[in-house]
Amino acid sequence: MRITEGYYQVKMNIRQYMQSRQAGRVKKVLLGQNLNDGWLAKVLIYFLLAVIAFLYLQPLFYMMSTMVKSVSDLIDPVVQWIPRKLHGQNLADAWRGLHYPEAFTNTLVIALSCSLLQVISCAITGYALARLRFPGKAAAFILIIITFMVPPQITIIPMYTIFGKLGWLNTPLVFIIPAMFAQGLRGALFIIIFRQFFLTQPKALEEAAKMDGASAYRLFFRIMLPLARPAIIVVFLFSFIWYWNMYYEPSMFLNKEFLPLSLRLNLMQQELMGNSAINFNAGVGKDPISEGPKMAAAFLIILPPLIIYTFTQRWFSEGIERTGLVE
Amino acid sequence: MSRQKGYWSFRLKDYGTGYLFMLPWAIGFSAFVGFPVGWSLFNSFNNVRLTNDGFKYEWVGLENFRRVLTEDNIYPIQLLTYFQEMLLIIPLILIFSFFVSLLLNQRLPGRSLIRAIFFLPVIFATGQVLMELFGQGAGKLPFIAQYNLDGVIREFVGPRIAEPLLNVLSKAVIILWYSGVQILIFIAGYQTISRSVYEAIRIDGATPWESFWKITLPGMIPFIGLNAIFTVVDLFTFPFNPVMYTVRDNMFRPQTGYGYASAQAWMYFLLILFLLGAVLWITYRSVIKRGGFR
Repeated sequence: MRITEGYYQVKMNIRQYMQSRQAGRVKKVLLGQNLNDGWLAKVLIYFLLAVIAFLYLQPLFYMMSTMVKSVSDLIDPVVQWIPRKLHGQNLADAWRGLHYPEAFTNTLVIALSCSLLQVISCAITGYALARLRFPGKAAAFILIIITFMVPPQITIIPMYTIFGKLGWLNTPLVFIIPAMFAQGLRGALFIIIFRQFFLTQPKALEEAAKMDGASAYRLFFRIMLPLARPAIIVVFLFSFIWYWNMYYEPSMFLNKEFLPLSLRLNLMQQELMGNSAINFNAGVGKDPISEGPKMAAAFLIILPPLIIYTFTQRWFSEGIERTGLVE
Repeated sequence: MSRQKGYWSFRLKDYGTGYLFMLPWAIGFSAFVGFPVGWSLFNSFNNVRLTNDGFKYEWVGLENFRRVLTEDNIYPIQLLTYFQEMLLIIPLILIFSFFVSLLLNQRLPGRSLIRAIFFLPVIFATGQVLMELFGQGAGKLPFIAQYNLDGVIREFVGPRIAEPLLNVLSKAVIILWYSGVQILIFIAGYQTISRSVYEAIRIDGATPWESFWKITLPGMIPFIGLNAIFTVVDLFTFPFNPVMYTVRDNMFRPQTGYGYASAQAWMYFLLILFLLGAVLWITYRSVIKRGGFR
């Protein structure tokens, strides 16, 4: 009898507590008013994000740790992430194997000049599509969208022949000239970005300038282009990084001279494969002798974009929101 | 009469400015896209041989296409398998990037750092470096091998379902690394839905769950469509995909030749256009149903 009474008492106490204000506060802290501001939800979100972030960072960590491992460390199954001692030889090998200073300059020349030209030419085209009136505008826009979808294999051989006739092969001209005419790497996408951006700008500004007697060119270069800064930054950064990383086009057009870093990496790999007489489990692709230098080379290649990225990542994420790409 | 004339001269001047602004693009397009594409289309109807004095053409009509479809015993199968794979991967990329962008859109302390990590793929995903890393096996999902998930999955769901499932899991890396730009676009998309709508629906007593399905998702449909198109283009023009390799190999093989390879490339292109058309149509329909296209 007493036991049941005691039990009843406890049960009532719990029920009372559950309905009290204090419990309400605990519940609010844990679950929150919205789905996303309770502690429980936050912990869950952080956990998920951490797991995915790890998956993204893992190749980067792998690269950096392999880069400083010596061959004995690479073969040793005990050594997983942290090498026994820092081994600088790989980096030196990669530096020489890539012909780093030369290839770096080549890549930089192509990426920088092409992305700058592309910003200007695509901005001009995007502005025309957004604001100027002329017959055939819709057709031009459709052609631009189709350009974006053409697989490179369709055009590569005719382009090769054209460039060969013009004598541009193995010079940076093969990339600079198309970029100048808004046909660079993913130029169509950039034109669309600029078009969307200019569409979001208020029309009153232009009307005011026109009223004051500004010509269309003045209006564009003096007023609209400076206004387009967020779009310009986004296009420039994307363009730069895509030019920096491109591989397929230079492998066709620049295979003798003016080699960029991505091609050098490939050549280096072939050299290493050829030279290492003892090829441990070849075919699997994990070969302890060449692995270190290859990872070091990969690191040297992504280092410049990575540095740029650390300084500009704010613009990457915020710029896109502000370009009106999404209106 | 003179007024009419004045109108036309104004119009012409107006159009002239437009054409002048389009001029660089028009030159570039005809030289670097229109002409090459037209030439390769012409090639696909020809038997092209490379001789000492340039290309030799021999008109064969649709013969090249017929040969690709009926005589080639590798390419059509490869094309179909690749399409099947892509049809599976594209929705997964979209779902994954949608999910991640939802998480990233929350107001969290340290959000900018987290975002910085998640946009890393935008930098690497195009590069030779990434291929190199995958070649080394660095891109594998670590927990699959660690916990022997292969065996577990095989045992539990039977081999028939396990095969495609494992296939997708092994492609998980591609899904991860090819959703960089998509996440960016989705996050930008969230900013277009105004905060007051969420407030209003909360006051009306909707749970967050409901507000997601009633507000967030419908508002995001145009961006899902945009991302679907971007993903299709990104994956299909990716120079390292197997179909592209075959086309490239055939270009330089004397038995097949450039004409034949062009026919292959054009069939591939038509399939992509078909897929994009489908995506556009679905997006358009679902937006229309909501009433209004932006």
